[in-house]
Amino acid sequence: MKLDLSGLESTVPHFGTSDGLSHGFPTAPSFDLPITGDFDGFQKEAIQMVKPAKGTTTLAFIFKEGVMVAADSRASMGGYISSQSVKKIIEINPHMLGTMAGGAADCQFWHRNLGIKCRLHELANKRRISVTGASKLLANILYSYRGMGLSVGTMIAGWDETGPGLYYVDSEGGRLKGTRFSVGSGSPYAYGVLDSGYRFDMSVEEAAELARRAIYHATFRDGASGGVASVYHVGPTGWTKMSGDDVGELHYKYYPVTPSTVEQEMGEVSGA
Amino acid sequence: MLAKKGVGLPSFLKTGTTIVGLIFQDGVILGADTRATEGPIVADKNCEKIHYMAPNIYCCGAGTAADTEAVTDMVSSQLQLHRYHTGRESRVVTALTLLKKHLFSYQGHVSAALVLGGVDITGPHLHTIYPHGSTDTLPFATMGSGSLAAMAMFESNYKEGLTRDEGIKLVVDAICSGIFNDLGSGSNVDVCVITKGHKEYLRNHLLPNPRTFVSSKGYTFTKKTEVLSTKIIPLKERVEVTERGDAMEE
Amino acid sequence: MSIFEYNGSALVAMVGKNCFAIASDRRLGVQLQTIATDFQRIYQIHDRLFIGISGLATDAQTLYQRLVFRHKLYELREERDMKPETFASLVSALLYEKRFGPYFCQPVIAGLGDDDKPFICTMDAIGAKELAKDFVVAGSASESLYGACEAMFKPDMEPEELFETVSQALQASVDRDCLSGWGGHVYVVTPTEVKERILKGRMD
Repeated sequence: MKLDLSGLESTVPHFGTSDGLSHGFPTAPSFDLPITGDFDGFQKEAIQMVKPAKGTTTLAFIFKEGVMVAADSRASMGGYISSQSVKKIIEINPHMLGTMAGGAADCQFWHRNLGIKCRLHELANKRRISVTGASKLLANILYSYRGMGLSVGTMIAGWDETGPGLYYVDSEGGRLKGTRFSVGSGSPYAYGVLDSGYRFDMSVEEAAELARRAIYHATFRDGASGGVASVYHVGPTGWTKMSGDDVGELHYKYYPVTPSTVEQEMGEVSGA
Repeated sequence: MLAKKGVGLPSFLKTGTTIVGLIFQDGVILGADTRATEGPIVADKNCEKIHYMAPNIYCCGAGTAADTEAVTDMVSSQLQLHRYHTGRESRVVTALTLLKKHLFSYQGHVSAALVLGGVDITGPHLHTIYPHGSTDTLPFATMGSGSLAAMAMFESNYKEGLTRDEGIKLVVDAICSGIFNDLGSGSNVDVCVITKGHKEYLRNHLLPNPRTFVSSKGYTFTKKTEVLSTKIIPLKERVEVTERGDAMEE
Repeated sequence: MSIFEYNGSALVAMVGKNCFAIASDRRLGVQLQTIATDFQRIYQIHDRLFIGISGLATDAQTLYQRLVFRHKLYELREERDMKPETFASLVSALLYEKRFGPYFCQPVIAGLGDDDKPFICTMDAIGAKELAKDFVVAGSASESLYGACEAMFKPDMEPEELFETVSQALQASVDRDCLSGWGGHVYVVTPTEVKERILKGRMD
């Protein structure tokens, strides 16, 4: 299948000299189209393929002392790891965090955009926006772009006048309120740890350790997650970064190994 | 994902190649570059593309590496058997027929594009063979992705009755034009000169692309590799067996 | 994702002075999911001959079993070990046999010849041999491995330096690949001994 672009051609000859050269080009300029019935779908899929940060593990949960938010830091394109130090927890304002899964650019851009909208709300109304409101702003924007190729899977976590808040928002237009979420390719593994270890009345330290462990186990099993496990806590006074541990070291902290002594297999003594 | 829609599928070792051959006053000269590619990756910087067919016949191969290798190996063994059978030197047309029969029977699925050259009882011969089994008989020929660049050199400089040195020079120029103007071709120039009763395989006749960027200091590592376990298996001493004529058989 | 990258793998072999090293990662995955981190990709054919098979694990194991079978028949008939060159031709022949329905794997062969001369070789899924003087690589991390080896390799290394170079090249490469890593497995073979080491690596 070829696109006929002859309509775009200028009728004026390109060559100043009127020699016979230009008669040698009979075909109209054209380019190959991919062999597919659904060209729009193909194009969208192709864009998805080159978007970085497809594989991710992010999680967030509400507990007694606030919200705990954690994520890995790997960005990958197909099998290639394009970065091991991506900031997947985006600081929207001192009381609100967003997490990043899906397209890196889409998440970064729309979170920054949300940050602007939140600040404008603050200036207009002389009070901070609620997590409910902020997440709805984002969900409405994403819904308006639905089906146009955006790829965002995010959690909005924060503390407002009503206490801790946590919402899951995605580019399909979904928005869910909840106490425990995990998003990304490593989320099944993270949920496993999270669900088995979760209690509402955990201390901040216990919660941070649970989040870290959940991220670690996800990075171990999921090829597209890895790097650093960062953990944030959102309390009444705003968010604080609890820790950022290299998963490469974390593994050997959870499962210490001691290098064994050199094992020497005895050779057969010749002649014996 | 794209593969599902008919793009891609398993990539095999290809020789995006420049191969050429010409007839000069007393025989045939074959030439080839030495790059093997796998998609955009240079898999081998110094591979051999001029294959042995018979003592007086050689064959340059382009296309899927495994196919050119397999098809030339197979035909060369058939020729050897034929020589044992007849006790005569192989003819180039015999090789040509065997190759084209095989390729035609596979309807182009065996993707080998060949330049076959040799000198036999009837004189020097040069042929090209396409993957579908069609053949050409020519005084000069080029094949592979760099064939256009190489043919430009031949078309402008070839004449009948070239001397040996002129012939080699032209072949080298043609291959170099492929190496430098075609991205699928590269590295070195291999040449094979076949004359009546004599052949000369000039492996790496010209090395126009030496490595220039390698550091003489070598590479040092800041952190030593951490080892979890080591196992050492001593190998049995290899006993030298010397056979003497009067030794008792066991 | 290509069928060659279904399980993920990284393989490299390097030549030193009268010795060679062959190394692999230890992951077995199904796409992005890690199934095992103690997988054997390198097999010993005889004392001084090794083969590593990258690509689809099921095909790799089938191919290995057929190779062991053919090697045993050879030993019985010839009463000697196979030369690395001969073995490479055997692998190539078995692969080309399946030209139009190939085993989805790329083998790396490394061995010491009769005169203690190291031999390394790789081939594609249909048996196109690629003989190299310095190093060969294969697997889903092969592109990074090409880069690492091209930069780190130097000729005529002694066994210990060779081990360090191979290990560093392997680790550096698999740390840029989602589908391989989770530890390393290195064999360094000299005329007198085989040294097998398990490497400590990132487990993500």
